[in-house]
Amino acid sequence: MTTLIVLSALGLVCLFSEILGFRKLLHPIVLIGLLASFVTNLMDWNNGAHLFNEMVVIDNYSVAFMGLMIGITFIWCLMSPDFFTEPSSETDHFALIVFALIGTMVMVTFANMIMLFLGIEILSIALYILAGSHKTKLSSNEAALKYFLMGSFATGFLLFGIALIYGATGSFNLAAISSMISEHHEQNSVMIVAGILMMMIALAFKVSAAPFHFWAPDVYQGAPTVITAFMSTVVKTAAFAAFYRLFIHTFSASPAIWAPTLMIISGLTILVGNITAVYQTNFKRMLAYSSISHAGYMVLAILAMNQSASSSLMFYATAYSISSITAFAILLLVSHQTGSDEIRSFNGLAKQNPFLSAVTLVAMLSLAGIPPTAGFFAKYYIFSAAIQNGYLGLVLIAILGSLIGVFYYFRIIIALFKSESEEKEIKVNTLFRVLLLVTSLAALALGIAPGMLAGLI
Amino acid sequence: MVLTILVALPLLTALIIALSPVKLTRMIAMLGSGLQLILSLVLLQNFLSERNVGNNAPFLFESNASWFPALHINFHLGVDGISVAMILLTAFVVFAGVLVSWKVEKMTKEFFLLLIILSAGAYGFFISLDLFLLFFFLEVAVIPKYLLIGIWGSGKKEYSANKLALMLMGGSALVLVGILGMYFSSGGSFDLVNLSTFHIPEYVQKIFFPFLFIGFGVFTAIFPFHTWVPDGHSSAPTAASMFLAGISMKLGGYGCLRVATYLMPEAAHYYSGYIVLLAAIAIIYGAFATMMQTDLKYINAYSSVSHCGFVLLGIGMMTKTAITGAVLQMVSHGLMTALFFAAIGMLYERTHTRAVKDLGGLMKMMPFISTVFFIAGLCSLGLPGFSGFVAEMTVFVGSWERSGLFYHVATILACMSIVVTAVYILRATGQSLMGPVKNENFNGLSDAQWNEKLAAVVLISGIVAIGVMPFWLNDLVSPGTEAIYNQLSRIALLK
Repeated sequence: MTTLIVLSALGLVCLFSEILGFRKLLHPIVLIGLLASFVTNLMDWNNGAHLFNEMVVIDNYSVAFMGLMIGITFIWCLMSPDFFTEPSSETDHFALIVFALIGTMVMVTFANMIMLFLGIEILSIALYILAGSHKTKLSSNEAALKYFLMGSFATGFLLFGIALIYGATGSFNLAAISSMISEHHEQNSVMIVAGILMMMIALAFKVSAAPFHFWAPDVYQGAPTVITAFMSTVVKTAAFAAFYRLFIHTFSASPAIWAPTLMIISGLTILVGNITAVYQTNFKRMLAYSSISHAGYMVLAILAMNQSASSSLMFYATAYSISSITAFAILLLVSHQTGSDEIRSFNGLAKQNPFLSAVTLVAMLSLAGIPPTAGFFAKYYIFSAAIQNGYLGLVLIAILGSLIGVFYYFRIIIALFKSESEEKEIKVNTLFRVLLLVTSLAALALGIAPGMLAGLI
Repeated sequence: MVLTILVALPLLTALIIALSPVKLTRMIAMLGSGLQLILSLVLLQNFLSERNVGNNAPFLFESNASWFPALHINFHLGVDGISVAMILLTAFVVFAGVLVSWKVEKMTKEFFLLLIILSAGAYGFFISLDLFLLFFFLEVAVIPKYLLIGIWGSGKKEYSANKLALMLMGGSALVLVGILGMYFSSGGSFDLVNLSTFHIPEYVQKIFFPFLFIGFGVFTAIFPFHTWVPDGHSSAPTAASMFLAGISMKLGGYGCLRVATYLMPEAAHYYSGYIVLLAAIAIIYGAFATMMQTDLKYINAYSSVSHCGFVLLGIGMMTKTAITGAVLQMVSHGLMTALFFAAIGMLYERTHTRAVKDLGGLMKMMPFISTVFFIAGLCSLGLPGFSGFVAEMTVFVGSWERSGLFYHVATILACMSIVVTAVYILRATGQSLMGPVKNENFNGLSDAQWNEKLAAVVLISGIVAIGVMPFWLNDLVSPGTEAIYNQLSRIALLK
């Protein structure tokens, strides 16, 4: 809980910095604030609590995901100082990011449907603005508008679902709903079924699972690259943490209602994401589709519904976020200095900058799920959890999907080593160098010693 | 301990290469792979002396450490005679591969780095007794190949690299499914030793055996999944071709034998007819396809399909002699084909052509290289005195032991492919080495350098050592093959 208070205070400090005139100090203040919240969050480990009349629950699951998201946000803040140098919007950007982070915190600690809704809204409203924060760019405005329209639609579904379930069970409390569903044999109630499915649609939208993924490529491509990086790592992790908590803690008594649908969503997401990514020539858009396909794999963890499911989801989210943030940091560097985010601009990178190409290699291998990187174990862990629950066919599709994935991730790798290059040297400053080294080493370390994180929760 | 060093040494070499200046790269790579070769010989010696004092445990030098406890994954290492033979093969080929790549100028450091990492994957694969670990190393060995072909290759290299990587990844995905199937049907074990005593239900075996066998089969060019071989080999740089044909294809053969057949004997029996059929098709189709080729690398690539068919044939026949023959063929073909590719690489570097019709009379200015090429050819067509003869003969004898008309016909057909082999080998060597010099520019070309000579001598000594004294290799591998055979015959007795 302290974590949430620290972050909220941080958000307010950001807003007031403009008036009180310490804008220049804001970047370090935010970093210190994030570190402080990381520490207070860690203090909750094995120290769970139910707060505010069963509105909020803090357990190891939430601590782990909150730690991951704060950590990724910290890395993110380090890698995107350029984004904040525009004097006009500096304070707003910082405040919005911190508020978005608060939204994600609420999304993993909810014990009540209302809190889930609040969390998603706090997060989404901040994101709508951030997606459009390149005010002069048409594509950024388009992204914001698209995201806003589609996002509000999804929110509508979510509220409708909550209302229907409230109607059937008379409660917003997850535990109460869960026991109502399992004890009173309400499984067949039309309101319950419709409510669960509507909430599933809303969450599938938030995690950009097919067929609710159409917003993702345009929004990801149109939004400023740093915001895309935030959306495809922290936001996605939060959405999955919420998805998992809602469906496993509340609706697990009646998987027959939602599991078949979710199974189709998962398979479809994996295939659509991977196959479409093959045809992309723009690196950013390719990452958008790759992020869609990864959503498909993570849905497998929700379907698995067993002991290792939550820790496999956590592991996957970590591996994916680390590699993804690395890829976006590389894209930032490359597109900033070549002026384009096409795959072409990676040509010949190996010769100009061996360090950058080595970290790109690790990030791509990890996203493709190839040893000895974190992505490999993450995929394996999640697949084996799903097989345990009898989803062999779906795992076969997932494996097929990762094969297709190999094709487009490898295309980047080959581009790195192409001889024709645009003679433009890409410079990496020390901060980025350290940052990329740390994330790449983390990806390798998790691939070589996965025991560090697996089985944690 | 020796086994851990066997994986650690290449990784250490790779690390040193990465950190040291480009000038020293070649030296370090040579020293590293040379040390590795010595280490493998030490391993052989230790292994033999352990066996001599009567240590009859199925796997020696076992070490077991927990790696990922949540999923029961262990770092379980251990070797039997078959693995030792494969490790020796790998060490020979890697050392020779490093030597023939002496002149690589483009991104030298990265080239040797990948070569050494690739070898680490292969070593790890051969010493793993944990299926997950085995799979891990199998995947590790694929990526460097992709890069080696895609970056340093020639011709349509990107197409070939993609094709190879996707097919091999596809193969390993099938392997993963098979391994997971065994894991869940055995109550959660990846341990090869445990699984070999655990009786996996027959219906489960029948489902997952094809996944494993075809998955590994892709690596060893099982028909109809052999199409990566010609493209991959022809585009790859010399050392990568040597690795691909010499080691990579053996990963598949070893996996088919050690994992698929050893752990699922009933299903292996059940499917043996199909295996033999596919192997026979690969042998004959490969041989005839080779006859049509005009490019030396394609000739060797297609002939590899044919020769690796013998490995699968030996496994499919499931008699003790045939399985031993399959292992011998893996070692023999690995050395022979590496030598062949090395010789082709040396010729190409000088003449800049690989088309048989453009070459001719090379024996006059390049006696050493031509002789090497000729020896590789003779080994390939199975001349007594070289390893090819020993291996193929063992496979044929073993295959004939399997009763049944179908198996006899397959054996006879496979035997007849030897004639076709002789035709294409003699034609290719004759046209390119003998006769008048066709191209005047060839007259000033130089013969092999010290590094190339050393590489050739290392490989030839391996080939001759097996060809002249086959018994040591036979004695080395036969306890291992016997264990596999016993596993198979135990099932036959039960029925």
